[in-house]
Amino acid sequence: MVDQLPNLGREAEMLAAMGMSSIEDLFEDIPAEVRMTGDLPLPPPQSEEEILADARRLLGANVAMGERVSFLGAGLYRNYVPASVFQLVTRGEFLTAYTPYQPEVSQGMLQAMWEFQSLISELVGLPVANLSLYDGSTAAAEALTCVVRVHSRKATQKDTVYVSELTPPDRLSVMHNYCQGAEIKIKFLRHHADGTLDLDSVAEAAGSCGVYIEQPNPLGILDGGLSQIKEIVGEHTALIVAVQPVSLGLVEAPGQYGADIVVGEGQPLGSPITGGGPIYGIFACSKAYLRLMPGRIVGRSIDVDGKVAYCLTLSTREQHIRRHRATSNICTNETLIALMGAMHMALLGPEGLQSLAVRNMTACILAKQKLSEVEHIVLPHSNSHHFNEFVIELPGSSKDCLAHLDGIGIIGGFDLSAWYPERTNWILATFTDQTSAKQIDLLVSKLAAWASAQGVSA
Amino acid sequence: MSHLFEHKGAKGQGYSQPAPVLPESVIALPPSLARKNLPRWPRLSEPEMVRHYTWMSKRNFGIDTGFYPLGSCTMKHNPRVNEVIAQIPGIADIHPHQPEHHIQGLLAIFHEMQYMLEVCSGMDQVTLQPVAGAQGEFTAVRCVQEYFRLRGETQRTKVIVPDSAHGTNPASAAMCGFEIVEIPSRVDGRIDLDALRAVADETTAVMMITNPNTLGLFEADIVEASAIVHEVGGQMYYDGANFNAILGITSPGLMGFDAVHFNLHKTFSQPHGGGGPGSGPIGVKSHLAQFLPGPLVAKRSPVGDESQMAIDDMWYTWYQPTHSIGKVQQWHGNAGAVIRCWAYYRRYGRGLRTMSEHAVLNANYLRHAIHKAAKEAGVDSMVKDGAEAKVAKHEFTLSLQPAKEMYGISAMDVAKGLLDKGYMAPTVYFPLVVPECMMVEPTETESKETLDTFAIHFAEVLKIDAETLHAAPITTPVRRVDEVYAARNLCLRHPYDDE
Repeated sequence: MVDQLPNLGREAEMLAAMGMSSIEDLFEDIPAEVRMTGDLPLPPPQSEEEILADARRLLGANVAMGERVSFLGAGLYRNYVPASVFQLVTRGEFLTAYTPYQPEVSQGMLQAMWEFQSLISELVGLPVANLSLYDGSTAAAEALTCVVRVHSRKATQKDTVYVSELTPPDRLSVMHNYCQGAEIKIKFLRHHADGTLDLDSVAEAAGSCGVYIEQPNPLGILDGGLSQIKEIVGEHTALIVAVQPVSLGLVEAPGQYGADIVVGEGQPLGSPITGGGPIYGIFACSKAYLRLMPGRIVGRSIDVDGKVAYCLTLSTREQHIRRHRATSNICTNETLIALMGAMHMALLGPEGLQSLAVRNMTACILAKQKLSEVEHIVLPHSNSHHFNEFVIELPGSSKDCLAHLDGIGIIGGFDLSAWYPERTNWILATFTDQTSAKQIDLLVSKLAAWASAQGVSA
Repeated sequence: MSHLFEHKGAKGQGYSQPAPVLPESVIALPPSLARKNLPRWPRLSEPEMVRHYTWMSKRNFGIDTGFYPLGSCTMKHNPRVNEVIAQIPGIADIHPHQPEHHIQGLLAIFHEMQYMLEVCSGMDQVTLQPVAGAQGEFTAVRCVQEYFRLRGETQRTKVIVPDSAHGTNPASAAMCGFEIVEIPSRVDGRIDLDALRAVADETTAVMMITNPNTLGLFEADIVEASAIVHEVGGQMYYDGANFNAILGITSPGLMGFDAVHFNLHKTFSQPHGGGGPGSGPIGVKSHLAQFLPGPLVAKRSPVGDESQMAIDDMWYTWYQPTHSIGKVQQWHGNAGAVIRCWAYYRRYGRGLRTMSEHAVLNANYLRHAIHKAAKEAGVDSMVKDGAEAKVAKHEFTLSLQPAKEMYGISAMDVAKGLLDKGYMAPTVYFPLVVPECMMVEPTETESKETLDTFAIHFAEVLKIDAETLHAAPITTPVRRVDEVYAARNLCLRHPYDDE
């Protein structure tokens, strides 16, 4: 701690300047009845070297995905983030800044965030983007409360939103927590057995405040039916689409088929998975939602000399001005991670994004081709197009299968019984730009061997 | 003036990629799915991209650039080893759905952080899931809401907040569906117990308050306030924004609180990155623990195969609280931020009290030095304390009301004048109870010389004539930004030529 406290050893001198004689004088206003007695029951201070050694020992004991052959995704994806992103984002001027309350000395981050808004806006095909929410789930949840604020007055199904029945329970749980305070009813959109959206159930959502659907959906399926939703629900029911942003190098931008709000986990652009955080949530919308949307927004303006300058704008939506009438309680967001996203997007360029999407999608296609030939294994949604991932139906328990693969150094995918308890023999296997043909061959051969052994024992 | 969208280089040159595992032609998306037009993004080579972001970084002020006395934000130095640690693959390349036996080291750190925050706050159980202070507030109020629902006390529809509270407090409680009752503070910003007694009743669910308060003063009546709220069956919530003042000295538990959030990015130095990320764990007393968002981390002796994979002869395991409110973030919170804060706390260990002592020492010293420098410069009549108090805690407030009345110099003018002196300005116009308020928080990581020099520069700014000061800043990358123009001429994205 010595290296963090420049005034250690100078306390007496500083106290004397104030006419005080002891540190205790500074705390005389704290009553004895609330004073802590004795030392905190914590270990002694450590040096930087000791902390680093402990960190390496403890974190080194974890199994990093890169140490194994890994097919785990389910919402977070191992994509390559170029080295320059890490080099630049740790520049102290970005890293150690607070929210840009003084725009004159915060032009760098403000401009970078305005550029981020511009990049996201182009990516999803909507005119407005904020500079991030916490993650994909909170972005989705805030979208639901936002559409109720905008549409409830004219809605025939007041305070009601519809979300896909495939929405992962953890994401749905965040939605419930954010929606219950405003007494918003969450109803469900059904899917067909092939995983695509049942458009008849979408018709039931007409007159509600909004529908929430993911593209690709939680099973990795790209669903062409989404392009019909807006026509079915009409202009007074918002269409919210959650995206995997890399997929938009190949897949149509939701703004082009009538989405009013686009949300998503920004992580595949710019950020390592990092145990699930810090990552960033994307939130973009059409102009109709601008004044009731959550989160910070940067506007381009001018300074007193007429020079281009950037500042936070539309702050009257926010908690520090509007208090309990704010559109959201969000204050701190994920600016630095969004900055990493902007840097990654800047390096990719339009064609680079497309190439990245192609690499992700072809890895998925190759795996699908090879696994479809394996005996005892079924790909229940094989007629659909997939991005990143698809369901593998096994001739035995997915839990056993994943444990078997783990034992031979393969992180085989996600056990879907965690989302859909009745699906005890489904795994969601994920393929990204980091997946090689060799790794796919390994998975195919090991799954084939396991599946065939199940056949024998059954 | 550089601009990202000016770069119109050749196709895909910024980032060369390996070939795909199959040719692109195998994709063949139908028209209902295929993207018609690629995003109109700029095209940069790596050298252009590096130069663009480096140029922008030079137009930004961080703690590394200079003194950052932004009140309420605890802008202390961010030790760089924490960044090195956060890049170790055992955290950077970890998926939250990996099985327990893959992440024993991570869970051990989580468990240690839960414990550390519990003992520092006097709470019984901590969850690390909330990812920001405001989300911590929301999460804790949700837990209290479920606690009352389970007890059948659904008549508790009100949350009490002082008028000096951070805006997130009423916003978070309102998001949970509560009605907000704001009570006035006394002139010194302290809690008005009579006002509290007048509103506290059987409809009270929670009182949200921070201590030291937003003026940097310790609420000596806090035990009495807790008693008033508990008397009517309500719960006490501690906003941990100002936790840096009290570690090892007192705790929310000792003050009678039932729940607390921590701003790890403030107290434990997770870099704030220009607006985030943060991390906002919460701690609660045992009667609220079963409502926390899960999973939480427990430790026990290893069983069977576990002993081969265990670290420190203990097994760390996730568990779900019995009446959990569910999740507030889909994954395990900002794990990467928690790791950095773990590294920071380890630097102090049981010496965290010394950290808080120095935060308070520096704040009081700077308050004293500013008044002294102002007096020596003959401008002491222009500035007064935001509230009368012999000692402040980790931050203090000044009022520029006299300067405003005498010369038309506002707190904002002084703030802009300080930018020209090479400082980040203190927080201005918060809390609202202090007219022409400046809220100053130096933190413990600033040297005496920095504080002395800042005090002299502060007095120098007060000596500048009003006209010159209205024109400040003049040395910054841009001069005063027209926020009204920004709101009236909304330009929120790059305008293309055809738009």
